[in-house]
Amino acid sequence: MIFNSLPFLIFAAVFFLLYFQVRGRERMWLILLSGYFFYGWWDWRFLGLIAFTTVMDFTLGLYIDRSENQKQRRTAVVASIVMNLTFLGFFKYFNFFADSLATLVRSLGMEPSWTTLNIILPVGISFYTFQSLSYTVDVYRRKLPVERDFIKFAAFVSLFPQLMAGPIVRAYDLLPQMSEDKKFEWRRWNSGLGRVLWGFFKKVAIADSLAPFVDQIFTAPETFGSLHLLIGVVFYSFQIYCDFSGYSDIAIGLARMMGFRFPENFRTPYFSRSFSEFWTRWHISLSSWLRDYLYIPLGGNRHGVVKTYRNNMITMLLGGLWHGANWAFVFWGFLHGLYLILQRLVSPIWRSVVRVMRLPKFVDDGVCILAVYTLTLFAWIYFRAGSLGPASFKVANQVIMGILSGEQFSFGAIINKFQVLKGVLLIGILLTVEITNFRWHWNERQLRHPAWRMAAFAALLWLIAFFGTFGSNAFIYFQF
Amino acid sequence: MKHFIWYAAFLALLFTGDRLAGWLLQRETMASQFRYSRLYSGRAGADVLLVGNSRGLTFYAPYIEQSSGQSTCNLSYNGLPMDVANALIQDYLEHYPAPKTLLLDITICDRANNELLAGFAMYAPFSPRLSGLIRDSLPKMWGGNQFSHLTRFNNEIFQRALFHRKKSDKDWLLDRVIPPKLVAEVAQQQYPLEVHPQLVTSLQAAVQAAQAKGVQVQLVISPYFPGFAQNVTNLDALKTAVEQATGLPVHDYRQALGDPGDFGDFMHPNRAGSIHYIDLLRKDGLLP
Repeated sequence: MIFNSLPFLIFAAVFFLLYFQVRGRERMWLILLSGYFFYGWWDWRFLGLIAFTTVMDFTLGLYIDRSENQKQRRTAVVASIVMNLTFLGFFKYFNFFADSLATLVRSLGMEPSWTTLNIILPVGISFYTFQSLSYTVDVYRRKLPVERDFIKFAAFVSLFPQLMAGPIVRAYDLLPQMSEDKKFEWRRWNSGLGRVLWGFFKKVAIADSLAPFVDQIFTAPETFGSLHLLIGVVFYSFQIYCDFSGYSDIAIGLARMMGFRFPENFRTPYFSRSFSEFWTRWHISLSSWLRDYLYIPLGGNRHGVVKTYRNNMITMLLGGLWHGANWAFVFWGFLHGLYLILQRLVSPIWRSVVRVMRLPKFVDDGVCILAVYTLTLFAWIYFRAGSLGPASFKVANQVIMGILSGEQFSFGAIINKFQVLKGVLLIGILLTVEITNFRWHWNERQLRHPAWRMAAFAALLWLIAFFGTFGSNAFIYFQF
Repeated sequence: MKHFIWYAAFLALLFTGDRLAGWLLQRETMASQFRYSRLYSGRAGADVLLVGNSRGLTFYAPYIEQSSGQSTCNLSYNGLPMDVANALIQDYLEHYPAPKTLLLDITICDRANNELLAGFAMYAPFSPRLSGLIRDSLPKMWGGNQFSHLTRFNNEIFQRALFHRKKSDKDWLLDRVIPPKLVAEVAQQQYPLEVHPQLVTSLQAAVQAAQAKGVQVQLVISPYFPGFAQNVTNLDALKTAVEQATGLPVHDYRQALGDPGDFGDFMHPNRAGSIHYIDLLRKDGLLP
């Protein structure tokens, strides 16, 4: 079930009616069953996979907690890691590695005899796997007390707002909240609803409106002029931002309406002044997960420059691979790893330039933001092409060469001018709200003034009606 | 209780604002110089009615009017499907004196286009035919349009109407020369044209309605880029189907223009190409 669909609106209405009528254990059951219903609406066959992961991690958690023997504890946590990553690896990466190996074998002049399997990727597997995995690891690290109530643990894994596409809420953030007795509060309800509406606006009005223009340029890049391609790439950067952060807004808002506190997943990432800052503002729940469970265990920045670079690169390469089974995603991760390394080299030089030339702060910030955005844009081209299968690198390179050629760099050469104008207008609305939000804190404001709330909610719904694309388009991050 | 009152007020504001904004946008739309706004506000009477999809924009109205002294109304639109064109033609015939000629490019039958049909929602209050088409083909959208009037304006047709608010749309045409790198690929390009029997039936209905009003109907296949027409599959099948359905000959200009400089892309003659094409149509007596 996806948020931007009629079945979900009906589901949510029924769920919230029931949710505040029940307490304690009944509520846990409601959360659990509604999560399974929500997920099963997409494909009930994969409910068994979630259930199995849940049972195994719950059992291993108990075992890790009970055991005083460090070796046994370690074995159990490794078993959890292996199990979770095996599922993820099989469903998501089996064909990718089989294909890659076949290509390698063919390049050596041999003909491989195996074939790939027709594997369906279970929606959200990357998200709930990481979430469940964080539990056993944290119990092993003794950062989190073990959960002895299976229903509560199962409800934690299947909590529907974040089940399909995050944010990846860690066990130590969410499990303690499962025990709280949450009563209905208007303030929380209004705050959550405001967030949900803003998320819908970002997804339905912005991301889905930009999508056709973007799809067109990645389908046949050779037929478009350079300005058309450049606009398409810029549009993609906002499409993916609004698609994913829109989902996160809806998830955070729904959770807030239920009484849960989810961590923020995006903080205006395109205003980042460095790549390290970018990764504290883009998909925060994943980047912090990778930082805590991969980068730091690898040694982080504690063992000299070379190992820091290596750890940066490994983390970003795996982060890229997490997004999808295609070398283009890995290359996207490689680019971001490279950016992080280059930043460490270039940043001191730039700081010296700023000091010597006495550049004002707004120029310094402006240059940095522009540089980070431009390089991010470059990497997005490979990321977008990553979903195109074997042709991904060819298409990405065509788009880049098309932009750099400078041919037909005029507005007159653009075929869908109206889509461009609509896209620019919507991005303008988004940026205006996000920039003014630094000062005005819109969601706080609507909570203090009911009249503001009425106007803001109505305005959002009017904007959705006027600009929205109502095809129940799935969220991009579902495929990851 | 206080919160429920606020939410009730919110719903009232939401509904009232939607209706008010819908009314304002409707007013602006109908005052526009855009073709369909003129059609549904009584400002589209003409001697020659021109109909097609994006290829129908090749019927370059300023040149026809200048060379023949006849007034024109071009109902063509990018991706316009024949079922919508049928509704537009019949609405025209119902509200205006019969034109002398209806010139129709039959490649308009190559696709159904519900996405574009949705764009005509803002004209649905003025056309039971369009309203019925939307209700039958897009029932959810039709329901949404009744619930929120703002959704009727959430489309490209509205944007074009706004763009042409004070600016004539008669010279709307793809005016560029096909890029050389695209020309080099002409042999590899395929255009899978499909014959949709229900669209041929719509064309037949439009032709019969026009003939019943004494309109001289001319059916044509407009020019394709040299060497491209053979890559368009089923063109002959479409021609035969239309001739059988209407009993009229289809005048075939698919290879009438031989100069690559006459085209904006493989499918569309540019301004120069359109002028050459219109000269041919006039010479052959299809246009006055």
